[in-house]
Amino acid sequence: MKRFRIAAALWVAVGVTALAAVPATAQTPKYGGILVSSPIGAPPSLSPHEEATIGTVQQASPCFNNLVYFDAGKKQETADTIVPELAEKWSWQDNYRNLVFFLRKDVRWHDGKPFTAQDVKYTFDMVRGAPDAKGKLRVNPRKLWYENVEAVEAPESHTVVFRLKRPQPSLLPMLASGYSPVYPAHVPVAEFKTRCVGTGPFKLKEYKPGEYVEYVKNPDYFVKGRPYLDGIKFVIIRDRSTQIAALQAGQLDEAGSGWNQANAETAKAGAPKLSMLVAESGVNDNVLVNFKRPPFTDPRVRRAINLALDRKAYVVGPRQGAATFGGAMLPRPAGVWGLPAAEVAKLPGMGDAARQKAEARKLLAEAGFGPGNPLKLTVSTRAIALYVDTASWMVDQLQRVGIDATLEQIETGVWHPKMTRLEYQVALNLTGLGIDDPDANFFENFKCGSPRNYSGYCSEEIDRLVAEQSQVLDRAKRAKLVHEIDAKLQLDGARPILGWGRQYSLHWPHVKNWVQHNNSIYNQSRMQDVWLDK
Amino acid sequence: MRAYVVKRLLIAGVTLLGMSVLIFVLMRLAPGNITDIIFESAGYVDEADRKRLEAELGIDKPVAVQYTRWLGEIVRGELGKSYRYDLPAWQIIRPRLPVTLELAVLALAFSVLLGVPTGVISAIRQDRPLDYLLRVLSLAGLSMPSFWLGMIVILLLVRSLGWIPSMTYVSPFDNLGANLFQFVLPALAVGYRSSALIMRITRSAMLEVLREDYIRTAWAKGQREALVVWRHALKNASLPVITLIGIEFAFLIGGLIVTETVFNLPGVARYLVDAIQVRDYPIVQNLVMLIAVVVVLANLTVDLLYTWLDPRIKYGKA
Repeated sequence: MKRFRIAAALWVAVGVTALAAVPATAQTPKYGGILVSSPIGAPPSLSPHEEATIGTVQQASPCFNNLVYFDAGKKQETADTIVPELAEKWSWQDNYRNLVFFLRKDVRWHDGKPFTAQDVKYTFDMVRGAPDAKGKLRVNPRKLWYENVEAVEAPESHTVVFRLKRPQPSLLPMLASGYSPVYPAHVPVAEFKTRCVGTGPFKLKEYKPGEYVEYVKNPDYFVKGRPYLDGIKFVIIRDRSTQIAALQAGQLDEAGSGWNQANAETAKAGAPKLSMLVAESGVNDNVLVNFKRPPFTDPRVRRAINLALDRKAYVVGPRQGAATFGGAMLPRPAGVWGLPAAEVAKLPGMGDAARQKAEARKLLAEAGFGPGNPLKLTVSTRAIALYVDTASWMVDQLQRVGIDATLEQIETGVWHPKMTRLEYQVALNLTGLGIDDPDANFFENFKCGSPRNYSGYCSEEIDRLVAEQSQVLDRAKRAKLVHEIDAKLQLDGARPILGWGRQYSLHWPHVKNWVQHNNSIYNQSRMQDVWLDK
Repeated sequence: MRAYVVKRLLIAGVTLLGMSVLIFVLMRLAPGNITDIIFESAGYVDEADRKRLEAELGIDKPVAVQYTRWLGEIVRGELGKSYRYDLPAWQIIRPRLPVTLELAVLALAFSVLLGVPTGVISAIRQDRPLDYLLRVLSLAGLSMPSFWLGMIVILLLVRSLGWIPSMTYVSPFDNLGANLFQFVLPALAVGYRSSALIMRITRSAMLEVLREDYIRTAWAKGQREALVVWRHALKNASLPVITLIGIEFAFLIGGLIVTETVFNLPGVARYLVDAIQVRDYPIVQNLVMLIAVVVVLANLTVDLLYTWLDPRIKYGKA
């Protein structure tokens, strides 16, 4: 009897262990419910093509569709995780000179009008600034993405061809970005300031500027069975403490966009049942040194500034451990194109802090600056805590090599215009990459004359290499070129990267299929698969 | 009396005109304009497009031309269009007015209901324990910023009850109960500070009046305490209190920025800050003018109330 009991107990133990080892079967999604989320801030408009802010992408994405999109379920966005949306399928032709999209025929705009190839042509002619474009964007921040597009043609009602000047495999990932939705040709683009007519899973119910954006389910959505939610409400809560309290009190299902680690941990400590997602953000802290303004025209001065900033101190200091070292491309493993760790370790600012600071002093002395004649400079930054914390740390680091640095906070509303006009000496900036792709990053931020090349850096060699890598079809060969460019950019101090920050998101366990990609924050907000287990 | 009102209204007109110049000039002294802001969220500036936008919005014209155009719009009863959202300014301002008005009225009601009786009690119990207690409480009210108090209340609620007021505005016409629930805490947080002010003014005014001969006479005649205090003394002590209430109301219309932010109420003050940040001139100018009108009218109303409270006051006579 005793042996039987022991055997039975063992079987029970094995059974329990086996049950615990079996992964929980995926729950069957439930329909219904309104998801209440508090985004990073009020969107300046609902027109992703005219903005460069996550606020708009996040809150407008449920309304729109792209030709293609990054698979919501895959944490890392790559060319291989691109899935069809308005395009049923696509085909590269003529050695990557033509990209042909075959469009779905069962799609209607939210106002009932049919979606056709003319809408795609209208959108991308407008975005690339084609002379014969039928619409004009008030501002057009991603025109450079489509510089290589020679023509967008609509040979049939549901076929679109992007004709390229040269092969460019990155065009497809760029079209998959949250910044690349298709607009309706029959709605004036100016109306997207306050309304949204898309083909997406949710229709705009009400938009109260500065207050909320409310969507209802699109019953005619072309993806059968989606969306699961009856609606989404993005509630703008400006005060961070109030936002945290609202999440803890259950008034919000999700929040966290724009939060730092401390905010996320505070929220979680007050409501331990909250699920916290942590991922790389694809947003880097970078230093802008004005290439056009003496004495920063002297490469020794620029290198001294770069060396003075101890990257390890940056991670433990202003970023409180929540950052990763890297170059201009998001470091691996979260990123696809980042420099290998061994290369990152060799970058300026990554070595022994004392030795690098000594080298910085030496370079400054060679450039004519020393204790009797210190280099005086102003570190400008945006008047937002996330920026100011790191910029204050920068001032301290520069002072340690004898630079007489002071901090200047620039009102957030005029930050980018001032950077574009190079109205600064040295600045601390944050840059988010729309997609983890070399073309999207290099052309926009480092090409000679690009309006978003805020440091005024210009290198013919880099431009040539950037154009060259853009055409390489073999991914391994292209990665090698990308690493070469990245290392050179860091050595040139084109826009020295301090590190890459992390993103935090908290939601209640009843929110299912909430995704957070590992290498960008811009391409995950369609929300068609999110459901509430209530 | 009528002549006095007309004169005051004329002065009010001049004040508002001066105010309009001030706000118009100050807005244009701030660095950057709306076109910078539009490009800011796009992350770059294209100078040609910026100039085109300036022309489109009419801000490329000389400041004097822009000013007269705005005055013309006000005279015609038009408030222009929001630069940011391309919507009529009134369409943006109108739904925010009831929110701020409700908060201001509730806060003021709370502060009067608390401040006046405690001020009176404190005066008639001068230098007794109750007086000391009420003075300490009023000092606390003056010392604690209302937004801080609001935040503490929110944190306490979420910690102890796991509940906070709704973070989206509930109209009283949709759900009166929920609306009052939403407003009661911010009204208390704001009203506590105002009540402390009112209490202190009431107390000092009452102390002065209670020493007057006619009050002593009333006591000597054996009149009831309630009658002496609440009818004879308070009425005559209420002039400075009424003045203060008028000033507080005017302040509350434009000064609830942080409270509206903490409680996420979509009121006028919070939106004014947003509009200033994005240099949305039509919204800022018209909102500030609106607040100025409220201030002027509140002051006028207070002055007119004086004649009712103290028949000795006569306006319009030498």
